[in-house]
Amino acid sequence: MRKLLLALLFSAPLWVLGQGFQVNLQGQKQIGMAGAGSALALDEASVFFNPGAVTFLEKNSISAGVNPLLFKSAFKQNGSNITENVKNKIAPPFEAYAVWGPKSNKWKLGLGVYTPFGGLVDWGNDWSGRYALTSLNLKAIYFQPTLSVKISDRIGIGAGFVYNHGDVNLQRALPVNYPDGRSGHATLEGTGSGYGWNAGLYINTLSNITFAVVHKSKVITKLEGGSATFDVPESLRSSFPAGNTFNAELPLPSTTTLGIGIPLSKSTTLAFDASWVQWRIYEELAFDYAVNTPALADTKSARNYRDGSSFKLGVNHKASGKVSLRAGVGYAFSPVQDGYVTPEAPDANRYILSAGVGYAPTSRFEVNASFFFEDVQSRKQKNIETGLDGTFKTLVYAPGLSLTYKW
Amino acid sequence: MKKYILNSLFAAVVLFAASCKPEIETPAGTTAGQANFSKYIAVGNSLTAGFADGGLYLEGQKVAYPNLLATQMATVGGGAFTSPFFADAQANGSGYLTLSALVNGSPTLANVTTNLAYRDATHLAKYTGEVQNLGIPGMRVDLAFAAPYSAANMYMERLLSDTQVGTTTYFQFIQGRNHSFFSLWLGNNDALGWATNGGVTTDATNVLTDKATFSMLYSNLINALTAGGQKGVVGTIPDVTAVPYFNTVTVPALLAAAKAINPTAVAVFIQTGTAVRAATSEDLIRLPFQTAGLFGTGAIPYGLDPRNPIANNWVLDKDEIIRVKDYVNSYNSTIKSLANSKGLAVADTYTYLNMVKAGIPIQGININSAFITGGAFSLDGVHLTPRGNAVIANLFIDAINSKYNSTIPSIDITKYRGVKFPDK
Repeated sequence: MRKLLLALLFSAPLWVLGQGFQVNLQGQKQIGMAGAGSALALDEASVFFNPGAVTFLEKNSISAGVNPLLFKSAFKQNGSNITENVKNKIAPPFEAYAVWGPKSNKWKLGLGVYTPFGGLVDWGNDWSGRYALTSLNLKAIYFQPTLSVKISDRIGIGAGFVYNHGDVNLQRALPVNYPDGRSGHATLEGTGSGYGWNAGLYINTLSNITFAVVHKSKVITKLEGGSATFDVPESLRSSFPAGNTFNAELPLPSTTTLGIGIPLSKSTTLAFDASWVQWRIYEELAFDYAVNTPALADTKSARNYRDGSSFKLGVNHKASGKVSLRAGVGYAFSPVQDGYVTPEAPDANRYILSAGVGYAPTSRFEVNASFFFEDVQSRKQKNIETGLDGTFKTLVYAPGLSLTYKW
Repeated sequence: MKKYILNSLFAAVVLFAASCKPEIETPAGTTAGQANFSKYIAVGNSLTAGFADGGLYLEGQKVAYPNLLATQMATVGGGAFTSPFFADAQANGSGYLTLSALVNGSPTLANVTTNLAYRDATHLAKYTGEVQNLGIPGMRVDLAFAAPYSAANMYMERLLSDTQVGTTTYFQFIQGRNHSFFSLWLGNNDALGWATNGGVTTDATNVLTDKATFSMLYSNLINALTAGGQKGVVGTIPDVTAVPYFNTVTVPALLAAAKAINPTAVAVFIQTGTAVRAATSEDLIRLPFQTAGLFGTGAIPYGLDPRNPIANNWVLDKDEIIRVKDYVNSYNSTIKSLANSKGLAVADTYTYLNMVKAGIPIQGININSAFITGGAFSLDGVHLTPRGNAVIANLFIDAINSKYNSTIPSIDITKYRGVKFPDK
């Protein structure tokens, strides 16, 4: 039975193609398993991974964790002998969850606050692609109140409402020169919000193999009245008026995940997640300025993402009553098509490797640590819009730590 | 305890920052291929010399495309590259134009008149010593063989000893320099000199060089430069209508300006080589007409009445355009066939600058041939900005690398500026 299921899973047509701005750091245990775990009722992070599994959690709990992330990207211009690197900036993806329900009842309430999308790249003001981008700091913080209900002893469903608070700061150099030769600079900064939902189904079969179907909806994040600051020589000021504002829209994609959990022994569980990320909604990045001038038109930059996908396999092993060990591998297909790779998201297909350890000194208290590594493959590209022509290579490192209290 | 763990975590992350950098492999190291860049000389005109903004001055000299090219060649065995730089105290050389203001989008240009390098009213301070950038502003293929021109051209006179002045030709001047590699981008002025005088010939600098003469003399130049079997790169001649000098002051714009003042204006009138007629958008007006202060002046408004047309030398009319294009095409087929027969690389600036005319995105900059805002052409509308020089140097690098299997690294063009805008 198990073999058959695995065979079915691996022969399923690949949803070829997920990453872009996606951050796969939403629960310390799951991170240690490469981000798999939608079919496991592991802990309160199920609020994110599968609201349908939340009701099967044995205890009420509250947890918080952080995964300082280093996105190390390098670029070599086509034909150049110089490799340029992003500055070392640490992005702070975090996650906090609370799950509560009356003991041995059919329902549980959950709340999750997490960062499923984001980006922090700072190439500096002197790099060869500065007129395309100097830095991006994008944060999406999802707030998700959730209700999870047992339909039977083996089937749970759950759903949550998602509110997104988004923050963006995008900067680039402008190809106009001051008398001393330095370039102009544009800074677009704003906050926005959007709404969505997250729903999941959890099934525990008689063989204790578990299944999950989860859909997280798209969240169209609208930025209104962001500030558009242009540092330009004064003689160009009328073309780039001071105090200008902009509106923009960032569509964050929906994700559909199929998960499976296989208990290999009493102490060891295997988890596999296949996710389909519907990135195709990210067609363009458009900025609508409040004041337009002949030199400052509204911009529409084609992004033309296709759908992305990822496959993650993780294992959780209870080494003793107090210590758990975890490991995972994964592969993700980039949603970014040839000709659309940008320095803000120098994306390519990537390998994922992870490890984790959990320690529970008492029945109420738990510490979990993880290490997450992504190897984004080298990609030689010429961007259609900017003409930026060269090779990107990125490595991602994210150690993490969380604390949990259960009752 | 918690704080300690977090601090340790943070320290660990910072350690990763120092190591674990992503690597990008470079194909097969760097090599000169079949070429030898140990002594490079650059033969040409104002573009080779680094002339910009209507003058030759130190900043422009330093970023002339041969100088940028030589810097890149140094990574694949290239040697030192000497240029007749103006002294720092005379850095403004011949003087040049700056953009002093933008009034409602219209540029106001001013002349730089300090720190010039004149030793008298018409002669520049002499430069002695070895020179590898042999670019002479104004040099033409035909005048490269005329000894008196070395006295008449102040940029050439500056580089010659008193006995050479007026007796040495440019053709002689460039020889005997023991070069191992050369670039030759010459011939632009054989067509442009005529075009920038509105298709009117008044002296030797604005003759349209005869096609057969061009072919014979260019062949002499190539033969001399390859006499020792040297390799090199030649540049084709850009279409003269690809530069802002002929595309900024347009007939429709002049007519619109006239109508704004006098709604009865019906047409712009020009004097062509054969007749007076109403101008169309196919006739090109020279850039300096904008600031000449002639248009619409006089009892019979200048250029707005067939009795007082715009003079012939301000206009490259459509018949003259056809003629000059035909000559440029002929020169270019000569250049390409001679280069091919000698196995030389060809930097096709003709094709490339026609692409720039439409606009091409490079490294996040939309480079085009618009005056001032296009970023490639300097304030004289003909010569390149530092950024334009970097773009052209990359074109030469690509041509050399593909011909000789060398791997001269490309130039980061964002390190070089376009037009400077006043900050007031």
